[in-house]
Amino acid sequence: MSAFWSAWIMGLVVLNLGITFFLFLWGPRVEIPTLRDGTTGHVWAHGVLREGVRRLPLWWVVVSLAMFVAGFAYLALYPGFGASRGILGWTSTAELTADRDANAANLAPLMARIHGTPVEKLAADREVTRLGERLFIDNCAACHGRDAHGNQALGAPDLTDSDWLYGGSGDVILASILDGRHGAMPAWGGTLSDSQIADVANYVKSLSGGPHDDVKAIAGKPVFATNCAACHGQDGKGNQAMGAPNLTDTVWLYGGSLDTIETTIRNGRGGTMPSWRARLGEDDARAVAAFVYAQSHPTAAGTRD
Amino acid sequence: MAKGYRYFEAIEKNVGLLGFLTLVMVSLGGLAEITPIFVQAHTVKPPAGVKPYDPLRLAGRDIYVREGCYLCHSQMIRALRAEVDRYGHFSVASESVYDRPFQWGSKRTGPDLARVGGKYSDDWQRLHLMNPRAVEPQSNMPGYPWLATASIDGNDIMARMRALRTLGDPYTDADIAGAPKAVAGKTELDALVAYLQGLGVLNDAPQAGAR
Repeated sequence: MSAFWSAWIMGLVVLNLGITFFLFLWGPRVEIPTLRDGTTGHVWAHGVLREGVRRLPLWWVVVSLAMFVAGFAYLALYPGFGASRGILGWTSTAELTADRDANAANLAPLMARIHGTPVEKLAADREVTRLGERLFIDNCAACHGRDAHGNQALGAPDLTDSDWLYGGSGDVILASILDGRHGAMPAWGGTLSDSQIADVANYVKSLSGGPHDDVKAIAGKPVFATNCAACHGQDGKGNQAMGAPNLTDTVWLYGGSLDTIETTIRNGRGGTMPSWRARLGEDDARAVAAFVYAQSHPTAAGTRD
Repeated sequence: MAKGYRYFEAIEKNVGLLGFLTLVMVSLGGLAEITPIFVQAHTVKPPAGVKPYDPLRLAGRDIYVREGCYLCHSQMIRALRAEVDRYGHFSVASESVYDRPFQWGSKRTGPDLARVGGKYSDDWQRLHLMNPRAVEPQSNMPGYPWLATASIDGNDIMARMRALRTLGDPYTDADIAGAPKAVAGKTELDALVAYLQGLGVLNDAPQAGAR
């Protein structure tokens, strides 16, 4: 704040407080001329009501004085009087830092336990999974749901089952959280004809034993082998190294109806899990990973409350 | 002391004088609180590397304003632990230097959005804007399905960029001339998602990051 604006504010504060405090001290002492009957001569309602003179109530004087004292004390202690920093030297950022330091000190034993510890081990620590659950609800539940059952509208996987796109070990879960994932199923609409897409969809459906058209499924098998097997494998069991889902189970990322499968083949899928490294940091992400791990391993002690 | 009464009497019996003196007293607070900040606001410099909104995000920002998103969402992370832990570094003035008007908001029915950019995927933002209940069953936010079919007028965006340039935003002629191409074929939903995904990322002044 420049010296000019500091002086500007000080001048206005002095003027305002000066006028009001002067009136407070001087006003009540001013003698008000009265008529012989003790009233001021001001009348209302054709003389029915006449204005008398009374001393200010003591409570009013005391409360007003207390307000002035509080105002003067505030300006002395806190920033407010121009560029003055106040006797206490208070700042909002210093208070924030102190609050966060106090919280960090409070959490220090817990965070020390988390730091570098394998996720599998943390999943059995109830305190850690409770921290993880809180962070999960705040950050992950928007896609995976509060109950971690995922959301087929987004292709957000169910985290409570034993089916993993990229692998279900603690380290892989942690890596998924820290660096995110980007699904990259290309669109086949331009390469395959509509009937080929229908054939492949029926073949894919047949892999998990779902209702399908046998003739189309048989026609779709070579198309699958040529175009899809590179990622999903000749047997359709997927590839965790590239996050290609297993097509032989009944777990569907976007839904398992023939229509949905055809849409997936025609338009491709690019489901994105954002990276959380910058937002959470490694230790918090580890707590989240522990919570997630515990969801699919209910025998681990750290299930939710 | 009998003289002092004359001053009170003069004020009480002259409504013009009473009005003038009242105006003086109620102005003092505003003169002290508002004037210095009003003048200082023009000295806030954009952080290094922060550019004014590109055409698509500018269109998205105007949709954000038009739909009244600020009524339920703030873009102002206060310097309080609970907020910094949840949303990231507290907001600073230079982050909204290209926001006219700023979108700090004054109440939260939904969460703060100052650093929501990149928190969710584009797909999530689209689905959520079309039907919030599809991703958050408890949400009471309305859906905005018409955004998906409304297109953006490139000439209109050019006019807005020219208007912002007269206010001091450093758009070049090439920036403005490129606007119709940048928004060609885009829907209002695309624009709003682009705007949201840039919040706290493209205007990042302090180092963001929770706890």
